[in-house]
Amino acid sequence: MQSKMKELDPILEVENLSASTDNLPILKGVSLTVYPGEIHAIMGRNGCGKSTLSKIIAGHPSYNITDGDIKFLGENIKSQEPEERAQSGIFLGFQYPIEIPGVSNLEFLRVSTNARRKFLNKEELDTFDFEELVKEKLELVKMDHAFLSRSVNQGFSGGEKKRNEILQMALLEPKIAILDETDSGLDIDALRIVASGIKKISNSQTGVILITHYQRLLDEIKPNYVHVMSDGQIIKTGGSDLALELEKKGYEWTDNFIKEI
Amino acid sequence: MEIIEKIKTNKSIDNQTEIQKICLNKLQSSPLPNPKSEPWRLSNKSKFSDLLDYSLNEKDTKFDTPYPNTSQNIIRLVIGDNCQIKLIEENYSIKELSEDELVKYIKKQISCFDQNENWSELLNLSLSCKKNILGLKINGSKIPPIEIFSHASSNSLNAKTLVIFLEKNCDIDLLQVNLGKDNSSLSQSTFFCLEENCSVNHGVVSYGESKSNLLNSLNVIQEKNSEYNLGSLHFKFNYARFEISIKQSAGNAKTNIKGMQITKKDEQISTYTKIEFKGPNGFLDQINKSLADDKSHAIFEGSIIVPKIAQRTDASQLSRNLLLSNLAQIDTKPQLEIIADDVKCKHGATISQLNEEELFYMRTRGITLTEASKLQLSSYFQEIITFIPVSKDRWDLLDKLLNEN
Repeated sequence: MQSKMKELDPILEVENLSASTDNLPILKGVSLTVYPGEIHAIMGRNGCGKSTLSKIIAGHPSYNITDGDIKFLGENIKSQEPEERAQSGIFLGFQYPIEIPGVSNLEFLRVSTNARRKFLNKEELDTFDFEELVKEKLELVKMDHAFLSRSVNQGFSGGEKKRNEILQMALLEPKIAILDETDSGLDIDALRIVASGIKKISNSQTGVILITHYQRLLDEIKPNYVHVMSDGQIIKTGGSDLALELEKKGYEWTDNFIKEI
Repeated sequence: MEIIEKIKTNKSIDNQTEIQKICLNKLQSSPLPNPKSEPWRLSNKSKFSDLLDYSLNEKDTKFDTPYPNTSQNIIRLVIGDNCQIKLIEENYSIKELSEDELVKYIKKQISCFDQNENWSELLNLSLSCKKNILGLKINGSKIPPIEIFSHASSNSLNAKTLVIFLEKNCDIDLLQVNLGKDNSSLSQSTFFCLEENCSVNHGVVSYGESKSNLLNSLNVIQEKNSEYNLGSLHFKFNYARFEISIKQSAGNAKTNIKGMQITKKDEQISTYTKIEFKGPNGFLDQINKSLADDKSHAIFEGSIIVPKIAQRTDASQLSRNLLLSNLAQIDTKPQLEIIADDVKCKHGATISQLNEEELFYMRTRGITLTEASKLQLSSYFQEIITFIPVSKDRWDLLDKLLNEN
């Protein structure tokens, strides 16, 4: 299966990426390549740079890339705005989805979906057509229609916010989804709903990067690769067994790998 | 002294109304507001003198209709030459105040005026000729929504005055629209008197064109068990002042205010509010929002006065401000003067910029920075706009603010 994937062009190539914020280095030479159909998991202690990596790929303006490149579908996207990256198919699922008071979820989802559709040369949807589409996608994450009339994420529980992220992913149909601790704060049932949603949306043409601390999400979605990050670097890459080993031995076990680098 | 000379030259003493004579006389001793006084210290002197620079004009030019068409469900009045009050009187329990009633009421008001604090009203009443003063007495609760327009003419200084008496148990929705013209100044004063058990949803929407100026004052007296709700919006003026004075004459009344001013380019727009509780159990909930962009300046000064008689007053005043440019300026000063000891009063102010994390979140969903900013601003505006009566169904103010302004 692995060789079959590699016959295709990569979706995302992160090459020796270093980045800082307020002159503080956060990433120190990260390399990662995702091919169509692949699921990668990134694990590591708090503060090791996992979330920063995801934000930099999505184009967060607070970070400064000091070295390396990010290529998406063969194109260097370092100078692209976050919206250009999103429109072309990069999706970031937030660890803490942002509340936007006063902006209706339905309108937000419609404007986002149309921005992506415009990029794909698809017809933009009016409110009526969009309602039809969103109704179908709501099923995937078992969300009630009432969520659409509320302000974006405002008053949502932790689980509802995460499901709303997956709903957005379903509507935007990204080429690559980077899901930053989508499993945190979820009970077992909610985790299954979210995991099942991710599995249904991803396919042989798309890539997924799961950032997580726990094995339980990886029990639901089996990754092709597991990367361990520490101090702004990927210090070890392995198969799904690596996550099981980490679960047993803890991050202290990985400290030996740092010494080897 | 110049403005007084201008008024006198424009109109001989024989042609002046009694009110004009009284106000001119009062202005003689204080021809211009004291620039060091609290309500005027931040006022841009050069812009203020621009406001007074235009020649006085009592006639109205042809009034184009930049607003939604009239409808059968709306009463529409234009203060000045084209006022259709006679037609309205035939169909509704709205009567024009007689000259005697008007003079008596205004004289009573003037007697309590402070030269400096009420300078704008004194100027307005010195300028307003008979046909530019509209006085209404409204009765009953089945009155359709009312829209009242005041407008300036290009290259002139116009003055319009509105006096409204709401009789007991009256319940109305009223939208006042003040329109500036290119290179114009409008002086608008409104006097509102709410008798017992009255309820008013009052909207004030003021917007101008290039180099429009506005002096807008609102004077409200609420008797007990009345409810006064004010939603206001001021934008697109070179220079504008909105001065609000509300007195709960015997307490036991409710006041809700939601106001907003938006400044761009090098505009200056300010709002001054003074709310006085003259009896117990009064209620106030006030939010004032300012949004300043480019090199503009927005000002809010609010005072709440709670004397000893006003026990059990419940008052809240909040000033929320958005600064969109490094060169823009916002001054805000909400303040409380409390003598009574059994009260619940709070005030506060915030100044911030557009929330960057919200913007980034929207941008990661493919929404451009411009659109994301508009979505954020629309949520900021909505709280005020939805509070302005009549407009929400007929006037697309949000679209005007986001796309035209």
